Amino acid sequence: MKTFLKIIAGLVVLGVLALLAFLFVPVQRSAPTETLAADWTPEPGRGEYVMRAGDCAACHTAEGGKPLAGGRAIESPMGTIWATNITPDKDTGIGTWSLDDFRAALVDGLTPDGEHLYPAMPYENYRFMSEQDIRALYDYLMTEVPAVRSDVEETRLDFPFNLRFGIRAWNWVALRGGIGFEPTAGDDLQARGQYLVEGPGHCAACHSPRNSFMAQAGTHAGEAGFLTGGVVGDWAAPALHGPESALKDWSVTELAAYLATGRNAHSAANGEMGLVIKDSTQYLSDQDNIAMAAFLKGLDGKVSDVPQSLSVALPQVLPPAKADDAGAETAKMLTEANPEMPLGARLYLDNCSACHFVTGKGAPGIFPELAGNTLVTSDQKTPLISVILHGASVPSTRERPEALVMQGYGERLDDSEVAALASFLRQAWGNAAPAVSEADVAAVRSAAPAH
Amino acid sequence: MTDLPGYPSRRGFLKATAAGFALSGVAMSAKAADKTPPVPLDQYERSYFTAEEWAFVMAATARLIPSEGNGPGALEARVPVFLDLQLAGRYGAASDWYMEGPHDPGAEPARGWQTPLTPAEVYRQAIPAFDAWCADTYGKGFAALSPQDQDAALSALQKGEAPLAPELREFFGILLANTKEGYFADPIYGGNHDMQSWVYIGFPGARAAFREWPERHNVKYPLGPVSITGERA
Repeated sequence: MKTFLKIIAGLVVLGVLALLAFLFVPVQRSAPTETLAADWTPEPGRGEYVMRAGDCAACHTAEGGKPLAGGRAIESPMGTIWATNITPDKDTGIGTWSLDDFRAALVDGLTPDGEHLYPAMPYENYRFMSEQDIRALYDYLMTEVPAVRSDVEETRLDFPFNLRFGIRAWNWVALRGGIGFEPTAGDDLQARGQYLVEGPGHCAACHSPRNSFMAQAGTHAGEAGFLTGGVVGDWAAPALHGPESALKDWSVTELAAYLATGRNAHSAANGEMGLVIKDSTQYLSDQDNIAMAAFLKGLDGKVSDVPQSLSVALPQVLPPAKADDAGAETAKMLTEANPEMPLGARLYLDNCSACHFVTGKGAPGIFPELAGNTLVTSDQKTPLISVILHGASVPSTRERPEALVMQGYGERLDDSEVAALASFLRQAWGNAAPAVSEADVAAVRSAAPAH
Repeated sequence: MTDLPGYPSRRGFLKATAAGFALSGVAMSAKAADKTPPVPLDQYERSYFTAEEWAFVMAATARLIPSEGNGPGALEARVPVFLDLQLAGRYGAASDWYMEGPHDPGAEPARGWQTPLTPAEVYRQAIPAFDAWCADTYGKGFAALSPQDQDAALSALQKGEAPLAPELREFFGILLANTKEGYFADPIYGGNHDMQSWVYIGFPGARAAFREWPERHNVKYPLGPVSITGERA
């Protein structure tokens, strides 16, 4: 009995020590993956390029605010989260940070004080970034970005989310292995694409599902959940490989064009991906967009159609696509235009077919395909309903400056009509997704537009 | 930006979710119960016309596009409502017309609007003048005349045999044109009620999607019209 009590007492002491260590022993920073000479300097423009590739501005630039000065208010059910100022202002930004401080934030999610960042800062992904890119980005932020004095409101979340030390335990589960990047893709081009996708591009933050700890289920090619599709609020970030891949029918060239211009023969980017293209991928070189596309398509096997560049000979004449086998029946029904057709089909003819056509194929580079479109068939119904009610827009990009705008039909269609139309779209041309209800539409209509 | 461990979210998530949480149970519908019948013309709440003017346009448009015959008449299409709304609005005020003059009532008709009066003012001054001519000629105001006399009076007005002041010379022309417009324009402007005139002539309305049809010769287009607000017929 005495022995037993001794053991218990010993365990309690150990537990307390462990808890104290957990709370008070500083977290170790990861060492750089490469030792660069003190006078190493990135080639001109590289730091800004890394900033684009990492899409820092998406979160750290407020709407209408100074670049990278933070202050974007993000409403969450747990309270408002404020993006921080990452300009080199000494008082309100990161002007006093050393390179080591900066690297720790990027790859370990640590502030210079050793406090944990909330993992909205995608250090799960940035930890794959090369030391050269980290240093180029640091130099850029410190020397090329104008310092902006901007007191960003401090994020104060409610208990228990305000206890940032808890993230330490989360990190043990979420972060697999050390920092740095190990390519597994086939060739140099794909390896470059893999680096951009896994590292700075942090694609997995949205396109990988979350595991039971709500960490990214896959951050690296080969891990089970890697880019198999995630949910971003009401939006689905579709799978990028595998049987459910949104890119199944896309060539490498088409995917690269989508990243570079926000549009291709199949689709036009809106919502969250539209912002990614607007702030990030449109600024990347054709080679890098081709590399990412080649890597992503390579996840499903051999890639054979890699283009040298994305430039196209103009003028381009792209004939409208014919209905495919899966879409033939719907196309025939819409072409016959029998007044007895179902309401959803009639609404499609009255409102949609001028642009998306009876084939559901749309027009290449302008009007998205609806046949096989993951936004149309997603389990997340809100984006489709929102696009019908409020319209959508595709950003202007450097190579394709014309912004594409779809009007909203919220005034023209009532909730039951939108439900009938959306249900039609989800079951036409071979699409096979469950119907949308009037209540689904009413919910989206009474909420603020998502975009 | 920061986020919570455990929440799959990024920026859009939070925006969209916050909105989602804001849902109350109240569903709102853009145009629920649109199908209640419109208020009868004799109870219509006028925006521009006086009671006497209203009686005149009811009677006059009913002769210009009569109800007897194959298709709907001006009254079934609610043309007087269209006239009332147009005269109360930008058209009635000539708000985007050049109105500085000089105005020459003797000018060729092809030289356009030759009166300093706006269309709304033309209606306002011409209706009592024409009514007075009707009273002189037939012993009653226009609205009280028999259909035959109304037709004769309108013919006289059209031919200039019912004299109006020079600055009112456009009256019959705009009355006829506005009546046709109210009959055929989109219902959003108050006339062409239930798209009756479009159904009558087989016009498919604001669908703007006929790509499958140009080469299908001698095939009757099967669908009824759709209006700007999405009404179907």
